[in-house]
Amino acid sequence: MTTTGAVPALQAALAAENAAIFGYGAAGAHLTGSSRAAAEQDWTAHNRARDTLAAMISARGATPAAAHAFYQLPFRVHNASSAARLAAHLEDGVTRAYLGLVAVGDQRLRRFGAMATLAAAQRAASWRGSTQAFPGLSPPSTP
Amino acid sequence: MLAVSAAALPLLLGAAGCRSSDAFAGPDPLAGPPPLGHDVLTLQAVIAAEENMIDLYRTASSGDPGTSRARLLRSLLAQHEQHLVQLKARLVPGGSGGPGGSGGKGFPPGSGGSGGSSPRVSTARLRAAERASAADLVRRLVTMPPALAQLFASIAASDATHVTALGG
Repeated sequence: MTTTGAVPALQAALAAENAAIFGYGAAGAHLTGSSRAAAEQDWTAHNRARDTLAAMISARGATPAAAHAFYQLPFRVHNASSAARLAAHLEDGVTRAYLGLVAVGDQRLRRFGAMATLAAAQRAASWRGSTQAFPGLSPPSTP
Repeated sequence: MLAVSAAALPLLLGAAGCRSSDAFAGPDPLAGPPPLGHDVLTLQAVIAAEENMIDLYRTASSGDPGTSRARLLRSLLAQHEQHLVQLKARLVPGGSGGPGGSGGKGFPPGSGGSGGSSPRVSTARLRAAERASAADLVRRLVTMPPALAQLFASIAASDATHVTALGG
């Protein structure tokens, strides 16, 4: 069996967090009231997660990858509905990235990745308004 | 970013009881079936728990089919049924665990699992079951092969979203 290296998986999670931080900034501009408050709360959570991941990468002797100055949004965001869709899309990406950490050999990192997967999936479901059978995985086919 | 595909998850559990040296010596025909490996036992336990969850949802959604609660429960039940399909697909038929792998474990269908005597299953009880399932999967995944650990984590995440959908 092959386990994923810890640092590449951590870097992938960091990249997803950086994309989410940028994306929430774009989404928040189109949200008001409780939705905007939720977006700000999630944005704060992603900033904290970014700092945590950067520290974990540094502790392993690697350099945390810097965020890009700009991220291409997956679709045009022009109102509250598309902003919510963007937030769900961002959380899906974060969920996928943390599933990568679940494949590493270090058991503590696995548990950390699993808990972060749960949190991102819950945020995605909240923005989407519905649940999924397999958050973070491609639509499964029975092997 | 790391790509994760459920379709690519490997099927490696059939020979979990064999060691590499067994391949040279060959199986002892008088020794009986090899002991089940940790991965197989864990997967069987998770399958049994998923079957219990499905039974609980079937009981909960059996009445008043037109209500919004019933529609929600049917939707969540369908996702649990998808979980079960994927989990069972990772047990190799014909191994010591038998087809499906969960025979003899858990409650038989229709028994109500953890409380079949009451036809009414509260939303709070479903929430508690979902929360416990997610925690159990996270606890178990740390010792599993990577692909199976990812499947467990994804199912745990789904269960966690169910807690929220149920008002938790």
